[in-house]
Amino acid sequence: MNINEIVVISGKGGTGKTTLTASIIPYLEDLVIADCDVDAPDLNILLDPKIIDTHKFIGLKKAIIDHEKCIKCGLCKTHCKFNAISKEIILSQSKCEGCGVCEYVCPVDAIFMKDAVVGELYESKTEFGDFIHAKLSPGEETSGKLVSEVRKIAKKRAIENSKKNIIIDGSPGIACNVISSITGSSQVIIVTEPTFSGLHDLKRIYELTQKFNLKVQVVINKYDISFKHSDLIIKYCKENNISVGLKIPFTKKIVKSIVDKTIPSIKEFEFFKEIGFFKFVDTLKQ
Amino acid sequence: MKIAILSGKGGTGKTTVTSNFAINIKNSISLDSDVEEPNLHIFMDMKNSTSEPVYTYFPSIDKKLCTLCGKCGDFCNYSAIIPAKNKVIVFKESCHDCGGCKLVCPNGAISYDKREVGKIFKGKTKYNTDLSYGALNIGEMSGVKIINQLKRSFNSDERTTFIDSPPGTSCATVEAVEGVDYAIIVSEPTPFGVSDMKMVVEMLREMRIPFGLIINKAGLGDDEIYNYSKIEKIEVLGEIPFDKKIAELYANGENFSESIPEYQNFFKNIYKNIIEGRGSL
Repeated sequence: MNINEIVVISGKGGTGKTTLTASIIPYLEDLVIADCDVDAPDLNILLDPKIIDTHKFIGLKKAIIDHEKCIKCGLCKTHCKFNAISKEIILSQSKCEGCGVCEYVCPVDAIFMKDAVVGELYESKTEFGDFIHAKLSPGEETSGKLVSEVRKIAKKRAIENSKKNIIIDGSPGIACNVISSITGSSQVIIVTEPTFSGLHDLKRIYELTQKFNLKVQVVINKYDISFKHSDLIIKYCKENNISVGLKIPFTKKIVKSIVDKTIPSIKEFEFFKEIGFFKFVDTLKQ
Repeated sequence: MKIAILSGKGGTGKTTVTSNFAINIKNSISLDSDVEEPNLHIFMDMKNSTSEPVYTYFPSIDKKLCTLCGKCGDFCNYSAIIPAKNKVIVFKESCHDCGGCKLVCPNGAISYDKREVGKIFKGKTKYNTDLSYGALNIGEMSGVKIINQLKRSFNSDERTTFIDSPPGTSCATVEAVEGVDYAIIVSEPTPFGVSDMKMVVEMLREMRIPFGLIINKAGLGDDEIYNYSKIEKIEVLGEIPFDKKIAELYANGENFSESIPEYQNFFKNIYKNIIEGRGSL
């Protein structure tokens, strides 16, 4: 069975990824939900999940220095390429990338590598389907790995329960966590806003999706904040044959709905109907 | 004095706050360390910038010396070097450039080649201040190296440096705020803003960096952020109201304290309070 994996990303942060993802969720049947924005996960705030299972997420190993054995020769500090060891031979947990070079060069075996818990992964139930989400401990690496793990579990749940659709809330930026969110997905929605930075960042994230040959459509959020920049975005999309799937005007109603921790497309159904939201959701179905 | 501006959640106004500080504090330097989506140079209008490449290194195997002993592959924790039957395969994108494979190779068969992961741009802004920003090449996994080199490119103890940081709280953000004297969190009064800000607070406390909060788009959402700051004893440095005029100026790439001059003192006063509160400079 072919699973329809829809990823919502943005390049620039704060354009409305989570708001859009949450709004799509109630209207896609046969669904598994995944939040891949693991260092700022917010979808749970709107979905009111019941957590069924929590797993510890082990990232790369990290060095542990035994200060009783350490002779302070400084070899580990000299060899560490991540500046994770100080003059006083104290290890910075957040800078250690777990390569193991310090353990290798230590002449008195004062360093060993240990599995590090760098986040938590949750399997939850919501009224709209199974929900897989995670939280990376602040300051940690390997968010790409955690994203892959979230997607893997979501896919497993979809196959086990014969669900056709997976929707993924992605993270801002263009680096490893975003790459892990989009590789091998069925379609990508880029949420942008009509600002100078919005267009600048849209170009970069679109270029990334094209490296992976992904099917893309653009949603312009708050499009009436600057008609000038909305037109520039539309022009850019035309030139690159990208479809603009939806334009959402700015309204305090959506903010109000988020503040009330409710899904905007349910609470403001009429508003969403008027802007053609449900036709847009139909285009996501395969 | 180095001040980082960060937020957790994207789009809360980090870059807006950074640029408005930079144009109101004389002789300051600004760095944009959001190398995945850098925008500060747009608002600061940087002219005639020069660029320098940022490289990372990956292993290259001398086939004549390699005996396919497999020690490099056993050592590598990133699966970036894998000895196969007749040759050693290198996955450059996975390599963290730790130098381990060369250390463990008994035959001296490993050396390193370089690969560009991004660039650093340096120049003067139209406000006659210094600005430098990094840009990650599209398709690359990590901007940490670029941020590290960026911070070294303008390392001044005398001049105030504002560092626009990436969203989130992962390794790139840690690299951006590492070693700063003070951090300003920019957040918005919504449940998302508060939730993401909590992760930043946790990170800054762990790193022992003093910080304060600017509430942007004040009046748009609810009171949760005020309650949270009170309970956590976080100093609110100032508030910028939700205002369509500010949003429009932002959309056009303009700095709102230029068009609405009463905000010039807003930024100057916050800066003054930070400096006085820290009893330095």
